[in-house]
Amino acid sequence: MSLTYLDAIREAQAHALRDDPRVFIYGQDVGAFGGAFKATKNLANDYPGRVIDAPISEDAIVGLAVGAAIEGLRPIIEMQFADFSSVAFNQIVNQAATLFWRTNVPCPITVRLPFGGTSGGGPFHSQTPEAIYAHYPGLVVLTPATVEDAYSMLLEAVAIDDPVIFCEHKFLYRHLKAEKLPTEALPVGKARIAREGRDLTVVAYSAMVHDALEAAAELSVEGWEIEVVDLRSVKPLDTDTVVASVARTGKLLAVGEAWPWGGVTAEVIARVVSEGFGLLDAPPQRLNAKDTPVPFHPNLWAAHRPTVRAIAAAARKILRY
Amino acid sequence: MPLVSIIMPQLGESIAEARIIQFLVKPGDQVEAEQDLIEVETDKATMTVASPCKGKIEFFSAQLEESYPVGATLGKIDATKEEATRLGFDVTESKKLSGTEPHSRSESNGQKSRVEPTIRGLPVPANAAGASYLSPRLKARMDELGLHAADLAGVAGSGAAGRLTIQDFEKYISSLEKHKLSGASSMRVAVADAMRRSWTRPLATVGLPIVLDAVLVHRKTCEPKPGPALYALRALAIALSENSAPAGRLVGSKIVHPSAIDVGFAVEAEDGVLVPVLRGADKKPLKELVTRYNELVELARQRKLPPDATGGSVATVTNFGTFGLIWATPIPLPEQTLVLGMGAGRKMPHWDDAKGQFVPVTEANLTLSFDHRVLDGGAAGRLLQRIGQLIQQPEKL
Amino acid sequence: MLQTVSEPHTEQKETRRDGHLAAYRFMLRARLLDDKLAALYRAGKIHGGVFLGRGQEALSAAIGVSLTKGDVFAPLIRDAAGRLAFGENILDSVRTYLGSATGPMRGRDGNVHRGNPREGLLPMISHLGAMVSVVNGILFARRMKKISGTVGVACLGEGATSTGAFHEALNQAAVEKLPLVLVVADNQYAYSTPTSRQFACEELTDKSAGYGVAAHAVDGTDLTACLKVVGEAVAAARAGNGPQLVIAKLLRLCGHGEHDPDGDVTQSKQGYIDPKLKKSPLGRDCLKLAEEILLKEKFADATRLAVWRNETLHEIEEVVAQVQREPTPDPFVEKWVAISSGHLTEGRHE
Repeated sequence: MSLTYLDAIREAQAHALRDDPRVFIYGQDVGAFGGAFKATKNLANDYPGRVIDAPISEDAIVGLAVGAAIEGLRPIIEMQFADFSSVAFNQIVNQAATLFWRTNVPCPITVRLPFGGTSGGGPFHSQTPEAIYAHYPGLVVLTPATVEDAYSMLLEAVAIDDPVIFCEHKFLYRHLKAEKLPTEALPVGKARIAREGRDLTVVAYSAMVHDALEAAAELSVEGWEIEVVDLRSVKPLDTDTVVASVARTGKLLAVGEAWPWGGVTAEVIARVVSEGFGLLDAPPQRLNAKDTPVPFHPNLWAAHRPTVRAIAAAARKILRY
Repeated sequence: MPLVSIIMPQLGESIAEARIIQFLVKPGDQVEAEQDLIEVETDKATMTVASPCKGKIEFFSAQLEESYPVGATLGKIDATKEEATRLGFDVTESKKLSGTEPHSRSESNGQKSRVEPTIRGLPVPANAAGASYLSPRLKARMDELGLHAADLAGVAGSGAAGRLTIQDFEKYISSLEKHKLSGASSMRVAVADAMRRSWTRPLATVGLPIVLDAVLVHRKTCEPKPGPALYALRALAIALSENSAPAGRLVGSKIVHPSAIDVGFAVEAEDGVLVPVLRGADKKPLKELVTRYNELVELARQRKLPPDATGGSVATVTNFGTFGLIWATPIPLPEQTLVLGMGAGRKMPHWDDAKGQFVPVTEANLTLSFDHRVLDGGAAGRLLQRIGQLIQQPEKL
Repeated sequence: MLQTVSEPHTEQKETRRDGHLAAYRFMLRARLLDDKLAALYRAGKIHGGVFLGRGQEALSAAIGVSLTKGDVFAPLIRDAAGRLAFGENILDSVRTYLGSATGPMRGRDGNVHRGNPREGLLPMISHLGAMVSVVNGILFARRMKKISGTVGVACLGEGATSTGAFHEALNQAAVEKLPLVLVVADNQYAYSTPTSRQFACEELTDKSAGYGVAAHAVDGTDLTACLKVVGEAVAAARAGNGPQLVIAKLLRLCGHGEHDPDGDVTQSKQGYIDPKLKKSPLGRDCLKLAEEILLKEKFADATRLAVWRNETLHEIEEVVAQVQREPTPDPFVEKWVAISSGHLTEGRHE
């Protein structure tokens, strides 16, 4: 039996509901309809009263979650698209993220964001805002790249006593499959070496991990062995694993689907340069989307973001340094 | 269809630019990937620039007889999109967009006013000093192994602009394992460091032949016998006491004069050279220095010199003649401006005007190596002349 | 710490008397504390802003007195009286204002941003309207946990009714039929903005129909009216009638903050407040009015009032003196960590 990335997310929510009576799911269309992407399909049926439809009020949705968390429950909020979380921005960064620091009362909410681009998504159904949330203190930001991680990291997110921004890549929902659910996993906060290499470290997260792996396969034919690091969580960011990888290869390329200014790739490079300056045999580079809103037309969209070709080309430049 | 840039490639170790000497194709020609497009000349050889892909020459922006740096754009090829993306090349969209744009090709030819970056991609230090560029990782490894850039002078780099990559370095280090390796003593490493630091200055040498006969006679009358270098040392000390400026140090725009005429002399010890010092050598006549001099030589040979017996000298004397050498250009200690060398004496014919014939004399060369920032040839020559004068009157030393 | 207020089953006259007396004492304490804080502010002893509740004590105290232990209260910036009535220790207020390290916010937040979430007293964030949905969340969770009988009160000014957060939260509470009471202190000005620039409906109570909730209007200067109307609204919510919107009209008898003398009608110099309002019934001092009511209804006599006043002044002086001797936060001892999960912190990357 094979399951998709989306199936894994649904299974994780089902298991969370089953194993912890404090868990409930709240969001638009999550109830009988099963969610815009069917991430909560059948759950309202299986767990009556615990999968509740919300009005189109992202601010109040997150505010309600914070109140429920104060009361001891563990809400999972589904935002229909990451792009709409901006309406809830105030409640996420000023209410949820400050509660523990101000009052010593933890805020165990999980906000699921279907994020990332798909062909034809356009400016408001494709965003990747993980860096904005990582920037604010008080939040944990997760970006699973595999079916297994989508499952285990969502379970762990619900168990974490702090607000977790769970970024699920909507392109991976149906395109990524695995044989079965994992029985054990790396903990949140540890990055994974997705591919061992020798000549260059490519740091990526979420869907870009797969593009990086494809580019690595292409470069392998040319005789280069690329090491690919899957960050898994953007905050906390596993600097040690990244630096250890650069210690092996001497070269770094950070790849992200998000925009360049102050993105995760900038953070990775800042850390490696300041902690591992003496490990670098070439200037560290990064590859991001172009500094414009995400375009709608597939021709433009394909050129807007890093692709396998672009990753390979950027890699070649560094490899030849 | 996308325009792919024709870029001046890496032409060889430490080649920074090349001159266009011939275009082998013209705008409008269809070319294959790797086909030679332009002939260029570097100061080492004539080479060619190959096409990055299959397509049609759109235009050349480079001009004949002009030089362009590595990485500069020389022209553009109108390639198919498949070709361009297959190679992952940096493309700029041509003005023709699926027939909706009315711009003709000649218009885009005239588009030269737009500023193009000349170096694409990574900042490659593409100049003559490229080969000495050390990446942070390389520097860290060199620090770890106690190496200096000078130690790597003989290693070829395979990286961009001929730089030494970390892989080149590690290969080199492990290749050393194949050779017989013996440990360098700490003395050796210390001397190596001192010589390297001294060499960072512009050093020059002047030489003067002197007649040693008077010294040889004088020496026979002394008990104990003074070493030949001691005569040179005393002469140097007296000369410096008359004018200490040549032994001064240049610090910024000031000459720091020596405060005492302490002169050192080189003594060969196992695996290196030690430099004991005679303090105030200008104040005592030669006879009074002999005992101390001999003491210091013995202590140096046994490597038992007390700390106050070395260091702080303002000039050094070395007797390279003990090896039979008649000429040498010693290197001053890094903290000193002067080193005086004395070569072996040998019988040479000198012209005697009075007798109208050649007469045999024992001649030796004195060489004075100096930091040319402090002294010019003239001052060095005058100093050496005075030293020669003094040595040839040993009874006055 | 939390007061047990009179149960609703006792004799009505006693309830009325006890309610008035209890509310008055909280109003008095709040007023005298505000005066003290204003004085400290002018003496430069307070970091940041000072926001008084002068003129709004009757409404605020009425809320606190109408709630019971286990209820939820999200006060706003002029609710010192309500907080005290709900059971907040006066030390918490003074400690937060004077920046004592032992205050409930430990120096991490200040002045009116204080509370105790586990006790149902929510510390506000500055974004107006944002606390209402948090109250909703607690009420929602209680229901999920099958705990009945809770009421949640969120306080707002009339300015906050313009925010999206207010709209979303009231709508959400209505859809979920939560026992929420929204008490809007319509004090005519949001900072310097008069109501004519804040909303276009004739009365704020008109909005309730749009949300499908009940509305109550009350004269915010009249303690008796406030006790009655707020009590009714709380009872209606507790009975399961869904959200209740209470609109109280009064006048702010202080500046927006103590840094805003132009907004203080009690200053002799004419500021931006319409002078007609001060002269109108809205401009009456609810504390003086409450004293008149107590005397008239013979709930207390003048001597009693004087004794209470002196006792309260004394109490406040002692509290302030005590807190002024307490240590302020030490940045070197402070744990610079914003999440509770120790294994997920990233401190070394500053």
